[in-house]
This record gives sequence, structure tokens and C-alpha cells, in this order.
Amino acid sequence: MTGRKMNTGNIKSSLGAQIRRDIALGWRGRGQALVMLGFFLIIITLFPLAAGPDEAQLRPIAIPVIWIAAMLASLAGFTRIFADDVACGWVDQVALSPLPLALYALARAAVHWALTALPMLVVTPLMGLMLYLEPVGMPPLLLALALGTMAMTLLGLIGAALTEGARGGTGLLAVLVLPLAVPVLIFGVLASAPADGGIVTPHLMLLGAVLLVLLALAPLVAAMALAEAEAETGA
Amino acid sequence: MFDYLANPTRFMRLADRLLLPLALLATGLLAAGLYYGLLASPADYQQGETVRIMYVHVPAAWLASLGYVALGLCGLFYIVWRHPLADVALRAMAPVGAMFAFLTLVTGAFWGKPMWGAWWVWDARLTSMLVLFFFYLGVIALANGFDQPERGSRPAALLALVGMINVPIVKFSVDWWNTLHQPASLIRSGGVSIDPAMLTPLLLMLAGTHCYFAVIVILRMKSILTERRIVTMQLRHAATVTPPGGGTG
Repeated sequence: MTGRKMNTGNIKSSLGAQIRRDIALGWRGRGQALVMLGFFLIIITLFPLAAGPDEAQLRPIAIPVIWIAAMLASLAGFTRIFADDVACGWVDQVALSPLPLALYALARAAVHWALTALPMLVVTPLMGLMLYLEPVGMPPLLLALALGTMAMTLLGLIGAALTEGARGGTGLLAVLVLPLAVPVLIFGVLASAPADGGIVTPHLMLLGAVLLVLLALAPLVAAMALAEAEAETGA
Repeated sequence: MFDYLANPTRFMRLADRLLLPLALLATGLLAAGLYYGLLASPADYQQGETVRIMYVHVPAAWLASLGYVALGLCGLFYIVWRHPLADVALRAMAPVGAMFAFLTLVTGAFWGKPMWGAWWVWDARLTSMLVLFFFYLGVIALANGFDQPERGSRPAALLALVGMINVPIVKFSVDWWNTLHQPASLIRSGGVSIDPAMLTPLLLMLAGTHCYFAVIVILRMKSILTERRIVTMQLRHAATVTPPGGGTG
């Protein structure tokens, strides 16, 4: 390989181009992000309707409800994250470019998180108040939810890349991803309601550890699966 | 060894040679295990006759876990070496593993009802077995989720690999979750300093179900390979009968 030194510069510039493109596309399709936000809000609204308006009943399930709503809403946006790029040949172009597929997948995930999960985090305090959470409890909830949605985004990345081209869509994606998301949910909910009032709890650290494992794993797995999907459509 | 088996015909020959002895061994061990377990072994002084559920429950749980490790190894072999048989083995093993996980949950419910007074308890072991069952379902769904069957091989292998890393984390998190939420006094973990009269049938059953697992997986692998061969022959036949491009437009 003679062009190794030049390649790192190329990778940086193509990564930047990829991120700019994803942001532009995401912004143009911002209606979609609003739909995800609406989905998140509606799931939360359904729980008081099902469990009754009683404060004593709602307060203990507030955090679990917010978490489950955030998990489902972040999955729902994932079915088509690679579909258009595979169909229009973008993934083939990336495969030919100096940009590794893993970095492409990671860039896609980062932009997706910023466009769908960040708005959810912004409205979460509001939903928390509606479920009778104390305002004091918001910072740990938001911090844990930020890490948790990142982890869910990475898991969704794996699921979306694996199911690219498959029948079954969202249902298949959920069946694959949700069992693997159990640690995120458990540590996330525990970290959202720290017993001693401190924000950085062992649970938050464990959640961070899960996130780091996924950060190392997800782009590689997604790249391997995408290479297969790309070879399949390219043939 | 692995190169040798990459040829399906050679594998078929080896499988045919192994099948009968393994099947006989499984039948003998299971018959002996069931006889000792259900008739010739004593009832537990605390649990009574229900302790006999153990002779099915424990081997099923072992095989469910073993199958998951084997699935991960198949995924590794398929991804790294593209070993054609690894994909066949993965497809053959996933439903068998799912069946054993299901059997573990069902026998656990039958055992739990008289012992704990409930069919289901959100105990750490039960919950992680349930998650393992869902994981098996995911692998099966993904392997068969594509219009061209062989297109599902690589995604399923990747998922099996991801599961190999992630499922232990799931197990750890569920253990953590459970110890915080309720006392772990329900299952007498490690408390079964087992009597030889019970250990003999349990070991027989363990060995028997492992042989049974091997027999079923080899049979399923053979049928998958045969099925593929039939499809290939049909395609070849169709190509000779209908000249290329001469089909109905």
C-alpha cells in the first residue's frame, strides 16, 4: 500500500463529507424526526390512560415508562437507515472510497442520534413532570437516557445492517435487537433513579461500559453486514 | 479436519457412519436415565416426587447454553473461514437450541408451581433463559428472513457472534437486577449437595441428551444439505428444459 499516508487525510475529509451529507439529508427529512418524537410522546401518554391517572400509581412507573418509550421510539426509526443508501448505490460508492464502511456506519449512527434522540431528551423533563417525577430527579434521568439512547442507536445500527434486504422490517429488527438491549434497560433504569442522590453511580458506569463495548462492536458488525448487502445488490 | 469436512459429500459419509452408533447410545442412555430417574431413584425429602423434573430440566438447560456457545462458534467459523458447513450447522442447531430453552422454561414452570407456588418467578436464571430463548428466535428469524435463503447466512452468523459477546453481559445485568429487586433465596443455588442416587440418573440423562442433541443436529444438517442439492438439481433441470431467455416473458 503506497498511499497509506495520503489515505488518513482522505478518510478525514470523506468522513466530514459523509457527516455533512447525513445532516443535510436529516434536516431535509426533519418531518421524520418529528414523527419519531410524536411516537415517543404517544407511548408515554398511553401509560396513564392504561394504568389510571392516580399519582401514587404513576410515579413509580414514570422512569420505566420513559425508558421503554425511548427504546421503542429509537428502534422505530431504524428500519430504513441503510435502505436508501443501498438502493441508490451510496454504499457501493463508500465501499470504493477511502472511507471505511465502519466509519460510514458510525457517522450515520451519530447523525441519527442527534436528529432523533436529542429531541426526545429535550422533551423528557416535560414528560417526567406529567408523570409526577420530582424535578430533582431529572439530571440523572437525562444523563442515563443520553447514554442509553446512544447504546440503543448502536444496537439499532447492528440490527439495521443485519436485516438490510430482509423481509420482516421493524418486527424482525425488534426481535433481534431488544433481547440484546436488556443490559441497557436494566442499568439505565437503575442509573436514572440513584438511591443516594449522587449522579455518577456504579450503574451509570456499567451503562457507560456497555456503551463502549457497543461503540467498538457495532460499526464493525454493521460494516461486515453492509459489505454483504452491498455485494448482493451490486451483483 | 475442517478442510476435510468442507466437502459436503465427505461430511454426509461421515455423518452416516456416526448416526447409528450415536442414536443407539442416546436411546440407551436416555432409557437408563429415565428408568433410574423416574422409578429407581428416591424422592427428595423436601421436594417429594417433583424432584424428578430435574432429570429433564437440568440437561435441557445445559443444552440450551451449550447450543448458544456452539452457535457463536459456528458464526465465528463462517465469518472468518467461510466454512460452508458452519452455516449449515448454525441453521441446524438454532431451532434445536431454541427447543431446549423452551423445554427448560416449561419444565421450570412445572417445577416452580409446586415448589414456589407460582408458574413463573422473575428470578435471574429464569429471566436470562427467557432472553436466551428470544435470542435463538432472533437467529432463526434472521437466517430465514431473506428471499434468497443463502443470503441470511452471513447476517445470522454475525448475530450469533454478537450474541456470544452480548449474552454474557445480559446474564450479568439480569443477575445484578435481580439481586437488587428481591432476595435470591428462591433457588437453592449450590445447595443441592446431590446424593449419588440422584447423581447417577442425572449424569445418565445429561450424557443421553447430549448424544440426542448430536443426532438431531446431524440429521438436520443432512436434510439441509439434501434440500440444497435438490434445489440445485431442480435449477439445473429447469435450465436444460427451458433455454435461457426462452421462458414466459
